[in-house]
Amino acid sequence: MEEKIIYGVTALFDSPNNLVKAVKSVNEAGYRKYDVHTSYPIHGMPKAMKLKPSKLAYFALAFGLTGTTLAFLFITWTMSIDYKLVIGGKPFFALPAFIPVIFEVTVLLASIGTVLTMLFYFFKFPNNKHPLHDTEYMQKVSGDGFGICIEAKDNNFDEEKIKSFLSNIGGLNVTSIFYDSVELNHKNKVFEPKFIGFLILVFILISGATYFSLNKLIYMPPFTWMHDQNRLDAQESSVMFGDGFGMRPPVDGTVARNQMPYPYSGHPELALNLVNPSAPTKENYELGKKKFDIYCSPCHGYFGKGDGRLNNQFITPPSLQSEKIRNWKDGQIFHVITEGQNSMPSYAKQILPEERWAIVDYVRVIQRAMNAKEEDIK
Amino acid sequence: MEIDYSVEKPVIEKSPTVISINDAIMRPTAIKADKFFYISLSVALLALTVGAVSLFYTFWYGIGMWGNNRPVGWAFGIVNFVFWVGIGHAGTLISAILFLLRQKWRTGIARFAEGMTIFAVMTAGIFPLIHVGRPWLAGYLFPYPNQHNLWVNFTSPLLWDVFAVSTYFTVSLIFWYIGLIPDLAVLRDKTINKIKKVIYAIFSLGWRHSNRHWNHYEMVYLVLAGFATPLVLSVHTIVSFDFAVSILPGWHTTIFPPYFVAGAVFSGFAMVQNVLIFIRKVFHYEHIITIDTLEKMNKIMILTGSMVGYAYGMEFFIAWYSGSPIETFTFINRAFGDYAWAYWIMISCNVVFPQLFWIKKFRRTIPIMFVIGVFVNVGMWFERFVIVVTSLSRDFLPSSWHYYKPTLTDMGLLIGSFGLFFTLTILFTKSLPVVSIAEVKAVVKGSQPSHNGGH
Amino acid sequence: MTNNNLNFGYEKKPVPGYFLKMGAILAGIGIILIILSLFVDPVRSSFNSLIMFAFMISIALGSIFLIALEYIAGAVWSVPFRRVLEGIGLIIFVVPIFAIPVLLNIHTLFSWTHPEVIATDSILKNKAPYLNTTFFYVRLVAFFALWFLFYYLFTSNSKKQDATGNQALTKRNIKLAAAFLPVFAITISLTAIDWLMALSPHWFSTIFAVYYFAGSVLAALSIWAIISITLNENGILVKGLKSDHYYSFGALLFAFINFWAYIAFSQFMLIWYANLPEETFWYIARGTGSWMYFSIGMIVVHFIVPYIFLLPQPAKMDPKRVKWAAIWILFAHFYDLYWIVMPTLDKNGLSVSWMDFAYLIFGIGLIFVVFSLWSKNRNLVPIGDPKMKQSMEFEL
Repeated sequence: MEEKIIYGVTALFDSPNNLVKAVKSVNEAGYRKYDVHTSYPIHGMPKAMKLKPSKLAYFALAFGLTGTTLAFLFITWTMSIDYKLVIGGKPFFALPAFIPVIFEVTVLLASIGTVLTMLFYFFKFPNNKHPLHDTEYMQKVSGDGFGICIEAKDNNFDEEKIKSFLSNIGGLNVTSIFYDSVELNHKNKVFEPKFIGFLILVFILISGATYFSLNKLIYMPPFTWMHDQNRLDAQESSVMFGDGFGMRPPVDGTVARNQMPYPYSGHPELALNLVNPSAPTKENYELGKKKFDIYCSPCHGYFGKGDGRLNNQFITPPSLQSEKIRNWKDGQIFHVITEGQNSMPSYAKQILPEERWAIVDYVRVIQRAMNAKEEDIK
Repeated sequence: MEIDYSVEKPVIEKSPTVISINDAIMRPTAIKADKFFYISLSVALLALTVGAVSLFYTFWYGIGMWGNNRPVGWAFGIVNFVFWVGIGHAGTLISAILFLLRQKWRTGIARFAEGMTIFAVMTAGIFPLIHVGRPWLAGYLFPYPNQHNLWVNFTSPLLWDVFAVSTYFTVSLIFWYIGLIPDLAVLRDKTINKIKKVIYAIFSLGWRHSNRHWNHYEMVYLVLAGFATPLVLSVHTIVSFDFAVSILPGWHTTIFPPYFVAGAVFSGFAMVQNVLIFIRKVFHYEHIITIDTLEKMNKIMILTGSMVGYAYGMEFFIAWYSGSPIETFTFINRAFGDYAWAYWIMISCNVVFPQLFWIKKFRRTIPIMFVIGVFVNVGMWFERFVIVVTSLSRDFLPSSWHYYKPTLTDMGLLIGSFGLFFTLTILFTKSLPVVSIAEVKAVVKGSQPSHNGGH
Repeated sequence: MTNNNLNFGYEKKPVPGYFLKMGAILAGIGIILIILSLFVDPVRSSFNSLIMFAFMISIALGSIFLIALEYIAGAVWSVPFRRVLEGIGLIIFVVPIFAIPVLLNIHTLFSWTHPEVIATDSILKNKAPYLNTTFFYVRLVAFFALWFLFYYLFTSNSKKQDATGNQALTKRNIKLAAAFLPVFAITISLTAIDWLMALSPHWFSTIFAVYYFAGSVLAALSIWAIISITLNENGILVKGLKSDHYYSFGALLFAFINFWAYIAFSQFMLIWYANLPEETFWYIARGTGSWMYFSIGMIVVHFIVPYIFLLPQPAKMDPKRVKWAAIWILFAHFYDLYWIVMPTLDKNGLSVSWMDFAYLIFGIGLIFVVFSLWSKNRNLVPIGDPKMKQSMEFEL
């Protein structure tokens, strides 16, 4: 059997008063590497042990401020920069509405951070391999015992001397605690293989579950029931109609919104009844010119002379400057644009009614321009 | 019995020894469960089953199984959510706020109350999840980069709820767990069951009662209490924002945040008081959870109940003062409209009956305080019902007005929520110490050095 | 049960001479400035008087509230300081002075006092059963009567106890405190509504009274801390008060700064979010022109600075730092009331004038004068209180 390596010497005390007195004596005797064990905190013990106040409050502050900053930056980026949406008429940077989440993240990060720091950094937990575990000393302390343990690491450690010292200051059950072989080889690393393995397992499980649920599961019934409904979607076929088409043409007599059906379709003689509603404003003439140049000039030419760009390749239309056309009523010109005439197709689907009247006005302009009289120049 | 104001009455009666505290609190976890345990657990499980069946119907057939209609789009789901979140608040108040106020009488009840908080928040959290049409898409509530390039709407109070309730649950769990560590170490050392010993050893993380550790521990406990206090206030504030940010009369009123928080504490204390009455009887903790403790809880109930009453009065006054006929109508409708029955249950249970607690005898008599506690919980549930349902059923357009009736599924889920809560509570009493061993030991007479103004 | 335990070494000493001197000088300067201001710009002067009226009520009423709170909560740490609090509460008797300029100019300050305005404005007509001059005066008189009564009862019981140590007096005060709290809640709410919210009679907010309450507790706590700490620095209170006692001042100030910020934010955010014109106009007025900087300044002055200052544990326990924090917070409360009241007068932006400080100087001076005069030959510590011994041994 190998020689047992000593961890420290422990002693129990029977009352909190005696414990505090004993701790003061231990301090005065010059021991530094010692610990006091009680199953509940004793008032005045940190002072007796000359412990400095815990620095964890600063960690809490640091974690908290980190949380505030991260949350603020993230929310500002997502809401005010990356994907700006007007929500409730509020500005993109709606700070009052950001505050609640920023506050919650602050508290969350501060709490988790502080606790994890305390457990893993300050306490170096989990640690079930400490030599004091499973000793009679710890048994008593867990009940109603108050104990002091002076560790072998202390500079002034001398097993026999300490044993007598502790007995002298009122210690009972003065015992030496030794390391077990398991405990001795226990090095307190944070990233032990088991822990890393655990982390990897958690990572795989969570990623796998997320991948499965968001890429596979939500496309499987019954989760598709809201998605795959019995309604008719655009361009779907349908068994209800003989031709199998889901999309049907509009019923006869359907008119588009804001559309007035043309009343004189097929009756150019009645087009004389049409009254030109457009006002002789500059905007109107500019509109007319623009539309004429776009739609009419390819065949009719820019001045209506019939010398358009499609000359000799397509039909050459009669000149709009002719007596006949100059004597036409506005309504008749409107009718021709709307219905077409001979080789000219209908332009009703391309030019809105008010635009057609503007073209009519413009035609009158170029007619007057090409047949100007003396009075026009004055 | 005259009180002597010049001495501090000990919090733990009959001056037990430290070791007897150990034994008394450990005992329920060590002995075999008795008949009472199995009966109460069966009742709770039965209620839970009713809830599970209702939940199945909800998922299979959709939200149409509920009584929600237009315009009452939010009813039992949200009322139950607010009710259970409110109940959770008592635990954090007892643990954190009474700790910051140095009230030693919290030591006997803090552990249990914190446990109830966690169970209440778990129960509450179910409702937002199930009241959406497609709960399996709940993951979208968290802001993670996705193919739609979409982010969650950080300006919506419904999202604030997500953050608030999950933070609250996490921090309460951490707070409860940190408090448990020393007790788990005691259980680890004292238990004779080998399997339990391993479990306790794992979860106690190897705590060895070191005072160097206690030094850090006390600081972290203070920090957590300091964070948990504004957290608990913020959680129910954010829940109140769900309603208050709207423009619906009866919902949009600035006093909602403190009013909801006061109401939450009110109902939470009533629930904690009710359950503790059983716990102290069953486990013989009458000297730890004393009548004095219960009386103090009842006093807090008068305080918060009065705050709730004040808010009722102020809302009513300002509704008239504002000159808005819509606001005036809303409040008159609450008292005399279709749901007048709910309104008057609320007023009698929240404002009238708790006034009985002004009488000292009633504050200290168990059956009376139990009944008043039940009334308070009923009243607070109805308060949320009145706020949500009456305002919605009479919204802006009279042509939309409609009456809401809950369905069996709605009722089943409400029963189920109680079932879940009590199942978890009952299981908790058997597996973990329901009173904080370390904290109670610290306030028992003779446990602290005497020159520090001993107890 | 009597308890004549006087072993905690209290010797009756007078308050430092500079209290009265400083108070008299400030009050003197203040009264001259006030009289000047009443000639120069009576309207502005009456607005300033209104601010101080609200300020002084918040201190006085807040003090009586804190006295009641101590009794009903059974607080131990505050017992040595309670007599100082009672001295501050005495201010309630001088507060009506500040109402006089307001009432003389009531028609300029409050538009709802004009019958012709009410006739054309349907909203004001609707409120007229409450917001009319007669009922306003009735409330004013009734509330002050109630406050005087409760103050007198609390303090006379407390004074009697000095001689006899009779615990029945504590019990009586506890019952009185329980009766006072609902009265306090209603009276402070209606006072805030009548004098501050009614400046904009179309506006309404159910949390406004709570907002004023939060500020009042802060103001009362601040002046209580300032005077208590100053007296103890001069050895006038009882020996043996230590940082554990001061911690509660610091912690309560910190807690109520948080509470005030919470209430202020709730009120603002809800009105901002719903964006209803009948509510937002009040905040828009406080964001017009240079008022915007003043409003943002309030967040810094009333929340950020005291929060950072009082956050560390040692700051809450160090009497010097607590005193400075309290002075800052008292000023912040004045800033808050200025922000509530002045935009009604200076509609286009902040426009500070020397008159705005006249009443403040007078008020602070008055507090010190009243306190000094009251403290002559009086026990500044409630030596007969049964909790005194416990309190001196108080440890965190």
